[in-house]
Amino acid sequence: MIALQPTDDQKMVRDSVAQFAERTLRPRLREFERARDLPDDVLQAAHGMGLPLAAFPEAAGGSGLGVVTQVLIEEELAYGDPAAPFALGGPGAYGWAALLFGGPEQGKALLAPFVGEGAHTRVGAVAWGEPRACRDRGGMVTTAERSSSGQGWTLRGEKAYVLNADRAQGFIVFAQVDAARAWEGLGAFVLPCDAKGLRVLPRLDTLGLGAASFGGLALDGVEVSDDARLPLAGDAQRLAWFFATQGLLVAARCVGLARAAFETTRDYCEQRKAFGKPIGHFQAVAFTLADRNMDLEAARTMVWHAAWLWDEVARGAEGSDARSALLHSAWAVSFAKEAAMRAGDDAVQLHGGSGFMRDYPVEKWMRDAKQMQLCGMTAEQADQLAAAIALGRPIDPALVLPGAESQNVFV
Amino acid sequence: MTIEFSPNKRQRETQAMIHQFAEGIVRPESLKWDREHGIPHDFLRRIVMMAQSMGSSALGVNRGSGEAEEVDLETRKKRQIALTTILSAEEMSWGDAGLLLCLPGPGLGAPPVRASGTPEQRQRFFSIFEDMSQELRWGAYALTEPGAGSDVSGIRTSCRKDGKHWVINGRKCFITNGARASWNVVFATLDPSLGRAGHRAFVVEKGTPGFSVGKIEDKMGLRASETAELVFEDCRVPEENLLGGEESYKSKEGFMTAMKTFDNTRPLVAAMAIGIGRAAYDYAVGFVKDHYVLSRPIPRYAALAERLARIGRQLEAARMTTWRAAWLADQGEPNAREASICKAMAGGAAIRACIEAIEICGAEGSISGEHQLLEKWFRDIKVYDIFEGTGQIQRIVISKRLLPDLKAF
Repeated sequence: MIALQPTDDQKMVRDSVAQFAERTLRPRLREFERARDLPDDVLQAAHGMGLPLAAFPEAAGGSGLGVVTQVLIEEELAYGDPAAPFALGGPGAYGWAALLFGGPEQGKALLAPFVGEGAHTRVGAVAWGEPRACRDRGGMVTTAERSSSGQGWTLRGEKAYVLNADRAQGFIVFAQVDAARAWEGLGAFVLPCDAKGLRVLPRLDTLGLGAASFGGLALDGVEVSDDARLPLAGDAQRLAWFFATQGLLVAARCVGLARAAFETTRDYCEQRKAFGKPIGHFQAVAFTLADRNMDLEAARTMVWHAAWLWDEVARGAEGSDARSALLHSAWAVSFAKEAAMRAGDDAVQLHGGSGFMRDYPVEKWMRDAKQMQLCGMTAEQADQLAAAIALGRPIDPALVLPGAESQNVFV
Repeated sequence: MTIEFSPNKRQRETQAMIHQFAEGIVRPESLKWDREHGIPHDFLRRIVMMAQSMGSSALGVNRGSGEAEEVDLETRKKRQIALTTILSAEEMSWGDAGLLLCLPGPGLGAPPVRASGTPEQRQRFFSIFEDMSQELRWGAYALTEPGAGSDVSGIRTSCRKDGKHWVINGRKCFITNGARASWNVVFATLDPSLGRAGHRAFVVEKGTPGFSVGKIEDKMGLRASETAELVFEDCRVPEENLLGGEESYKSKEGFMTAMKTFDNTRPLVAAMAIGIGRAAYDYAVGFVKDHYVLSRPIPRYAALAERLARIGRQLEAARMTTWRAAWLADQGEPNAREASICKAMAGGAAIRACIEAIEICGAEGSISGEHQLLEKWFRDIKVYDIFEGTGQIQRIVISKRLLPDLKAF
């Protein structure tokens, strides 16, 4: 059936998150930005509502609400403050990677610390990006070599663009295990933050999403045991899944940002007068608002569609297939990311000089929108993914996966 | 309720059936129809027969608008009439949009008669479509004039009561199937100074004294479809053909009838545009597969891939807004803003798709041939950002919904 209305349960979740976003996040977004962090009371409230665990399977300690519910949550959070969903902590990308590359059992074990008492202080992170492209082959510069004892692995290299690097207790680090197999020769390893030889690099100053933290890791001969390796990381298709789903969550946040920027700007255009009437009553302004409204409606429904396809794949529904979910995610990612950027840009533009001032939130949203375009998966990578699927071509990791060769993104 | 995106079994079967029909039977004839400015009646009759033999939901496109009665909300929700119609329309237009416009039946005349006609009128004007085994019949919708298009309040075709008749004078233009129609829904005004309150809608039957067909337009695209000018010179319409009867015009009903029609038909036109755009997109994807050496890194490939992806996603964006507008209609909820959104998005996205598909295929893309319909689609699609309200008009509608105080620019 085609139906476009959340279930009663989903509405309840969405409404409570919306209330949290409007009462707690929106009024304080400048405070979070200045503090470069979310305060403890906000983290506790969000974790108390179960937001970071909503989409994870019940078997792994999550709420099992599925990706559709998760994108509804992400939109509302970002509507409050686009930086908030990036800064909430919890398992985040670490959890998704644990399940996808570790399988259900290992995934469950890795998610365990994020459930229960004190969970709001726990953060997981994924270290994927690298500062430089690998010159002589596909894949990564960071290597994982068999330790001299023949047991375990030794990791060497530098990871970059890591979301929550300085807050995480645990990392999933990607490194080259088999150089000859290029992208297919990647491995993923679980590391605690206090592993010997692991150094967290200084936090970066970024254009937007100031409350979130972006950094990197230096790996100077970090030793890990055999069971720290997640077995399923050397599969380009699976890696594309990972980035497409992470990208989709960011796309849902883009929808929230676009909605915030649109609504605020529409209200402003109704109040601000020029030449004796509200500026919204001039066609050049009104049409811009109409275009951003069109973007918003389309982006939201596209995100829902892709999310629904992932839920269908997860429950093994008849006729569901991951390539279709990948394709629709790719479309949703590139559309929503560009839509959010247009929304932020036009919001500042229609606010005129005031928009450039920090008295209004729109300049922040414009910066946040650009930053979001560089999180999860870029529109360009998503386009390459969509085209590969449409053309029936194998997914080329060099074009589709984030990297110094295509574009680096924050994961 | 829930969030789901899978057409139901009946909708899927209808889509598949139309797709097969479009690919195997329609496309091979498409260019010929375009060149000959029409579709042979034998062919149209076959379609009508086929639709009847396959049961009610076959070719759901026409059926959705062919019913005399407004169905009640529960039935509408259950059968998803608007959604089924747009799903079918996309598929049919993927084959040939001109064919869809040529299909016998009440066409765009149906919504106003259904929404505003008296029970007697609905019976009289719809019953002629029940049996078309001997003679094909059409209905049509005549609103646009040489001096008034989207600005409906500017129509100048006049009407005045004279005994048991109404006398109509004026011209209507760009009327799809207007010349062949058994009846046209014609909008006229008692007095332009009365504005919307002066508008009246009539069902003018073929052969009515004083009614004649003017020129048949020579168009850029959609050449299989007939577009006519209608001329009314002291045209005497019996009073029982005043749509809804005189009582119903105590309010702004005349204008509202015209507008209601648009809320219903904009998603349908959007779906047609998406069908044409998808045809071009599919062709370009196939062309790239066949002609580009994808196994080695050609610098152009990544740029080309990005272009294809952009076309695909813009069409998908338009499709999602169209589904949304139709879904709201089936829920009995207001959808004027959404209907305009999908119409504006679909027109824009599909035109880009057709333009870029030709570019991607290079010189070959512009050459007309039996299996090469890109140049035809390029011609067909342009009007989808024009008729049923231009992209600019849609943005006016959307703006007014977004800014409640905005009455006019």
